[in-house]
Amino acid sequence: MGFLQILSARKVYQTPEGSSVQALDDVTINIRNNEFLTLLGPSGCGKTTLLKCIAGFEDLDGGDLILDSKSLRSVPPHKRPFNTVFQNYALFPHMTVEQNVAYGMEVAGVSKVERDRRAGEALDLVGLSGFGGRRPTQLSGGQQQRVALARSLVLKPKVLLLDEPLSALDRKMRETMQIELKNLQHAVGITFVFVTHDQEEALAMSDRIAVLAQGRLQQLDTPTEVYDKPANEFVANFVGTSNMFAGTVASISGDRVILETGNGRRLAATSTAFRVGDQVRLVLRPEHLTILARDETGDADVPAIEGRVRETVFVGSTMQVHADIGHGRTALVSHPHTRRGSSDIAPGAEVRIGYSAASGHLIPMRSA
Amino acid sequence: MAGDRFMAARKRNALLLLLAPISIILGIFFLIPLGIVVVYSFLEPGLYGGVEWTWYPYNYGRILGWPLNDYEEFDPIYLKIFATSLKYALMTVVFSLLICYPAAFWVSRRSERWKGFVLFLITLPFFASLLIRIYAWLLLLRPTGFVNTALEAAGIISQPLDLLFSGTAVVLGMVYIFTPFMFLPIYANVEKLDFSLVRASQDLGASPIQTFLRVILPLTAPGMVAGSIIVFIPALGNFIVPSLLGGAKVQMTGNLIERSFLQSRDWPFGSALALLIMASVVVVLMIQTVKAGRAKGGRPA
Amino acid sequence: MKNKRQMLWSALLKGYGVLFLVFLYLPLGLIVAFSFNANPINVAEWTGFTLDWYATIFQGASVEGNFDAAFTESPERIFDVIRTSFVVALSAASAATVIGTATALALARHKFFGKRFYQALLLLPMLVPDIVLGIALLIFFVGVGIELGLMTIIIGHVTFLSSYVFVVVSARLAGMDTTLEQASADLGAGPLTTFRRVTLPQIMPGVVGGFLLAFIISLDDVVITYFIAGVGSQTLPLFILAMMRRGLRPQITALAVLILLFSLIVASIGLILRNRKP
Repeated sequence: MGFLQILSARKVYQTPEGSSVQALDDVTINIRNNEFLTLLGPSGCGKTTLLKCIAGFEDLDGGDLILDSKSLRSVPPHKRPFNTVFQNYALFPHMTVEQNVAYGMEVAGVSKVERDRRAGEALDLVGLSGFGGRRPTQLSGGQQQRVALARSLVLKPKVLLLDEPLSALDRKMRETMQIELKNLQHAVGITFVFVTHDQEEALAMSDRIAVLAQGRLQQLDTPTEVYDKPANEFVANFVGTSNMFAGTVASISGDRVILETGNGRRLAATSTAFRVGDQVRLVLRPEHLTILARDETGDADVPAIEGRVRETVFVGSTMQVHADIGHGRTALVSHPHTRRGSSDIAPGAEVRIGYSAASGHLIPMRSA
Repeated sequence: MAGDRFMAARKRNALLLLLAPISIILGIFFLIPLGIVVVYSFLEPGLYGGVEWTWYPYNYGRILGWPLNDYEEFDPIYLKIFATSLKYALMTVVFSLLICYPAAFWVSRRSERWKGFVLFLITLPFFASLLIRIYAWLLLLRPTGFVNTALEAAGIISQPLDLLFSGTAVVLGMVYIFTPFMFLPIYANVEKLDFSLVRASQDLGASPIQTFLRVILPLTAPGMVAGSIIVFIPALGNFIVPSLLGGAKVQMTGNLIERSFLQSRDWPFGSALALLIMASVVVVLMIQTVKAGRAKGGRPA
Repeated sequence: MKNKRQMLWSALLKGYGVLFLVFLYLPLGLIVAFSFNANPINVAEWTGFTLDWYATIFQGASVEGNFDAAFTESPERIFDVIRTSFVVALSAASAATVIGTATALALARHKFFGKRFYQALLLLPMLVPDIVLGIALLIFFVGVGIELGLMTIIIGHVTFLSSYVFVVVSARLAGMDTTLEQASADLGAGPLTTFRRVTLPQIMPGVVGGFLLAFIISLDDVVITYFIAGVGSQTLPLFILAMMRRGLRPQITALAVLILLFSLIVASIGLILRNRKP
């Protein structure tokens, strides 16, 4: 049982051209108390729609939204115990920072003394004490972001909804805020539902990630599970980069699976979910692949992939190696450039690519 | 869900409350009166004002040329006056277009600080009383007015010129009062004009005239069309300017309508004339809508 | 070579711009200057400075030495006309501001069937020639038996002023960030509180600007008022029109300057408010 349950949520939009778009299609998520849940997906996947439905700015067309075993569907946004940090912050330009932060308490009838005290505390919490008298337009993007956070947190919502709040910040600021947000969530102990299209952000901050695509929930799991064990092809491609091979399960011994691709290539993976003859895809992350040195053998019963280096891109911590591996396929290898054999890697070089069967993850072939 | 329905109902009530006043005002005091004008234009004028409730297309007959009975001859005087109105309205459009077009470029090239101030100066006369702006021209143009006095003082003329009470005076007056209407849409368009396109055209070898005809003119045409329509409509039906600056010599359809209503009390005939003006306006708007629609949808996707 | 030509064009354009402003302001400037001209016969010929014309508007009849130009209207009559104009303009502009703002809110913040019909309908009063609207209202009021007077003028003005307010407020609403209203609801404010505390302060410059625009247009309207004023009530423009038709007197010039001054001040306030950034 979740603390906030989204049950079979459905939402249909009419486009101006007259066709309809399924923005949310049977989405069920049990949000746990005090967790940092991220809704991740490309633009148009339904994540922002879902957030708006939770906040109450949009009505669900089907399904339900349950908080503490009560439906929220007939509760208007201003009566829901949730608060939102908007993508553009939506700070009231005609009010000072302090008035912005105190607004929610004011409309709730909190006394002036109490308001001042709590607004001061909230601004302290986000590191903006002393900025209360300024106008939002006099603040930097990062500062406005903090005011928006303070304005929402001061009301002690049961859930804080964050709609791509970091997207307007530059890269450095964004990385700082990621850590701050995570710390803040621990400090206040409030459930955060965070929307983003940035998979790195999602992996870095979340307790759990819900990956959405075309209005459907693709996977709901911890960041490591989502990354290491993507549920399907979409997740494997959207979260991180993958080398993928389609094939048929040829043999199984224990949890060791050998599959054979259409070209007769034999590859190894670890899984217990499939039977011999199943159509599957093998997902190999670039960092799980290594270029083997001439004398290296790699994993005993995993056949190395033969290839020829086409191109290398040095990205600092690693060398991204694009290698032709026959049949028109390219493999992407993330090779630590301090590792042995690096000097041999140059365009045109013949290489052997190794991996461990434990890192090979199998997903079912998408039905055609 | 009952709750959803409740929320939807509340939203609908708010909407009804917001729309009720405008619906009443425009329904009762705008649409119905316009409908009555249409009905009146087909009724027979009563002997001492008022109307007879009988079908009577002759109001239009008097204007367009089918006489009531055989021994009456059709006098195209009303068509002539309508043609004059069209001519003056078009002249007003053309002259204000010529005046405002370069001015829009001038303003768009000012620095941000000056731009606001100049725009303010150009918009301001729009708010000055219409009558007083016409009155200014009355003082300028009359035989003992500023223009004649100045010309006489300079020794250019010995007799005052007959400037007032002419078609020229009427067009001049209308150009003056409608200039802000023409300027603003053109300016909005010119301001948006991307000058890098002009430079690109020059860079590709087009002469200044070619650049103007092939790039600048097509890109600023929508503003010119909008301004022309906004000026044409009030100019066509105008009766204040011709009655003050045109005197007895210049008759526009607006003057005829005014007299039908307030002097001869032939309301059905006045209504028919008013609908002639309305019809012209509708035709102009329809041409514009069709053209705009074609410009938008004409390009293959 | 090319630079020289560009500079020439630029100079020509600048010169033209100055001429354009002269064209707009010279006639108005001349009225102002010559409203102080002592010459009672020819306003254009300067014979000396006087304030008599201003004095006679408000003092009535003759001022010493200017019997020729005796002003036939009594000051009571002028004050009466001014009062009528202000009553009409204030009531019509107020009503139009409420109606236009409500309509703008409905069209900007609600989705409903018939929205496009309303959008087109609201443009119509600005597109229909004044004279057509004037005679339509005349026939309607006479037909249903409403006596022409102050009330009919106010109603007539509200019909077209609402559209102007609607346009001004809609522009403001379109420029307003809708997430501000969502944020207010999100922080616990009900629809009315949100309107009062967030929407209204945000659109206020538009509302005030719309009101001032409506006020000026109402105060200045000749054509529509001309048809629906009846015999009992006369507004300032109708009064001036009647005076102009009777013949030119220096007092008209003085009165014109006063009206000019007033409307330009109100318009300046309106324009400055409208141009203030949200």
